[in-house]
Amino acid sequence: MEDEIRLLLVDDERLVRRSMEKTLFRGGFDVTVAENAQGGLQSFNAARAEEMPFDLVILDLHMPNLEGVEDKNAGLQLLSRLLEEQVDLPVIVLTAFDEVARAKESLKRGARAYFVKGREAQLIELINDILEL
Amino acid sequence: MNNKDADLATRRATLLHAAAKVARNVTSILNPERLLDETVDVICEEFGFYYAGVFLLDESGRWMALRAGYGEAGRKMLASKHKLRVNGHSMIGRASGEQRALIALDVGEEPVHFKNPVLPDTRSEMALPLIVGTELIGALTVQSVKEAAFTTEDIMVLQGMADQLAIAIQNAELHREHQQLLAQAERQAHLLRAASKVGKEVTAILNINTLLHEVSDIICEEYGFYYAGVFLLDAAGEWAVLRAGHGAAGAQMVAAHHQLRVGGLSMIGSSISQRQGRIALDVGEEPVHFKNPMLPHTRSEMALPLLVSGRAIGALTVQSREEAAFSKADIISLQTMADQLAVAIDNARLLRDLEQAHKELVRTKTFEALATSTIEAIHWIGNKALPITSTVKRLREDVRPLVVQDDQMAASVIEDLDIIEENAELIFAVKEHLIGPAREQLPQPVIVADICQDAATYAAVPVAQISYHGGESMPMVVADSARLSRAFGYVLKNSLEATAELTQPQIRVEFASVAEGLLNVRVKDNGPGFSQENLDQIWAAFYTTKPGHAGLGLSATLQIVKQLGGKVAAFNAEDGGAVVELRLPYTTDELPGAEFPAGKNVLLVDDNDLWSNFAQARLVAAGNKVTRVVELPAQLKEFDLILVDDCLTEGHVTRLLKALRKAGVADKVMVLASSLSAERVTALMGYAVYDARLKPYTEVGLAELLS
Repeated sequence: MEDEIRLLLVDDERLVRRSMEKTLFRGGFDVTVAENAQGGLQSFNAARAEEMPFDLVILDLHMPNLEGVEDKNAGLQLLSRLLEEQVDLPVIVLTAFDEVARAKESLKRGARAYFVKGREAQLIELINDILEL
Repeated sequence: MNNKDADLATRRATLLHAAAKVARNVTSILNPERLLDETVDVICEEFGFYYAGVFLLDESGRWMALRAGYGEAGRKMLASKHKLRVNGHSMIGRASGEQRALIALDVGEEPVHFKNPVLPDTRSEMALPLIVGTELIGALTVQSVKEAAFTTEDIMVLQGMADQLAIAIQNAELHREHQQLLAQAERQAHLLRAASKVGKEVTAILNINTLLHEVSDIICEEYGFYYAGVFLLDAAGEWAVLRAGHGAAGAQMVAAHHQLRVGGLSMIGSSISQRQGRIALDVGEEPVHFKNPMLPHTRSEMALPLLVSGRAIGALTVQSREEAAFSKADIISLQTMADQLAVAIDNARLLRDLEQAHKELVRTKTFEALATSTIEAIHWIGNKALPITSTVKRLREDVRPLVVQDDQMAASVIEDLDIIEENAELIFAVKEHLIGPAREQLPQPVIVADICQDAATYAAVPVAQISYHGGESMPMVVADSARLSRAFGYVLKNSLEATAELTQPQIRVEFASVAEGLLNVRVKDNGPGFSQENLDQIWAAFYTTKPGHAGLGLSATLQIVKQLGGKVAAFNAEDGGAVVELRLPYTTDELPGAEFPAGKNVLLVDDNDLWSNFAQARLVAAGNKVTRVVELPAQLKEFDLILVDDCLTEGHVTRLLKALRKAGVADKVMVLASSLSAERVTALMGYAVYDARLKPYTEVGLAELLS
């Protein structure tokens, strides 16, 4: 449906990705998933080409990067790349590391928020806040 | 030969026989007491005199003391310690003073005869001085019931006998002195053997407890003393603690943790503080003797400090039932033994420290290796468990329609979901506790009391329930404030839970600088205290007595404190309640100053706490205007910088941040916290504040904040 909020979820953990996808879907969002930085960038570009851009992107930090290599900063790399394409793109960075320095780094690079995985209901609240829904 | 001549001949024969008997005695009896007793018996029994007695000059040289007396009269006078003054009015006194024999053929007419009530029948008396060379050593008295009882021959024979007796007494005294010297020499050799035993065998014992008990026993058994014990100084050097004591009394005192204050009134306390041996030859007269009910028979005591390179590490006490029990030889050999003991204790301690250091090294290396792989493993497990709670949440939604169809089945499914969710939460907790302490650290000098107070606020300890003492003037500790906050949080949470059922729960936090450069943070509650089982296992990972707890809080606390080079302790207070102590090494380094921007108008939104006092004082001193509030003033635009403490006791930071955003000044807001999680940073940044940072506790850090 045209008025559905479109989200891109990029995470290499299959079960985590699927669980979040289901939660977000139940939260009323239209969710597209990708399992690494390359796949995420491809989906992002494809959506823009079809003029159906994503309203918000959710990225994991630690996953295979754009070169396909396992990288703890792959999410930061993809974040910078996506913001080069679309400056005002709202991005939430996901990570399992509860670590301030990395959180602030992602915010410095333009992410709207940094979210520690595991509390998906709160993630929906955060998305709603960012998109002012 | 007429009868008179016959009597005279018989008497001469008797006298010669008696003289010969005395002569035999004086050459054969070396015991002075026996010699004197036999002499008075021979004189009375062979000569037929009423009484004979021997006096010897006392140590003062002024009195003749009776040392042997014939018959019942003699025993009575000996019992009453009969003595006569030299040069006094008695026959003995005068004969001694003039050093010549005196004879009173009728004592009733003798002006200097001392009338003795136990010898009422004496009618004539002879007093003969006992002289060796020119030295007077005593006197002999011979008394008769007859008047004019002494013939010239009697006098000659008795004077000869007295001269022989004098020489024999001196010989016996010399013999006794030789015997004493021999005994002393033997005792000295014995003591040296005992000291050698301690030196060679005992000091080879590397277990301190065994060493101390062996030494206490050897001193009592080899020297024959009543009691011996060894005290060692406690960690603070304030108390001498009994570590070993001889016999049942020693065992009881060790079990009762007997201790004496260093520098106190006891002999042990003063010997340690003065680093000098103390000897009380009569403890009744010793002003600093500690009267010990466990050792009621002590009459003399010696306290010898245990010194290593001039430093006292404890003291040895030796006690005797006898007054003036310690000879010079005892003192010398015991001091030698004490010196050897001190070195042995020091060696045993060094070995123990070495062993502990080795174990610690092995443990640390093992821990490092394990920690790296464990963190990876736990992180992996935690990630795999991440979807569980979300999955459970979705299943709960799915099961709702089932309640209408089959409520029993629905209840069972919901119960299973509860079990799954609880276990998933536990996995999260384990992951958080174990990965938390291993995270990247940002060590900086911190005000420990401020972090502790913030931790109490984060742990939701009610303000009325907690009190802080002594945190203001404590030195700083170099630590990662977030990790230290986490350690305090675990301890305070335990106290909060331990006192949850009380009508007046109280948590008391005391800060004090203690020995070894450590700052001691003591958290005491008025709860039920720890059980013995708890005390044994409290720091172990996964040990918990509370349902729903992972049992990792205090284990993580131990890990955090140990990584700082500190120590932890848990025990029950004497007046009840649990006590947990975190001992943190403080820094004595002088902290560098910093140049601050001046002329800024700063709004400081904070309680009147240690950090805000520090920040306000430094900023004002640098020429800035600082307004400290807990509620926002009406005019906010005038401020150049707004510093907000994330940890306000009223817990109204969120309201303040919303108000600041609404007032359009969020970009001037810097939120400061002693502990910041990524989630918290995200939440704070959501209010469009300029930044959220860890509180700086140094001038350099504060200056960076302003620049």
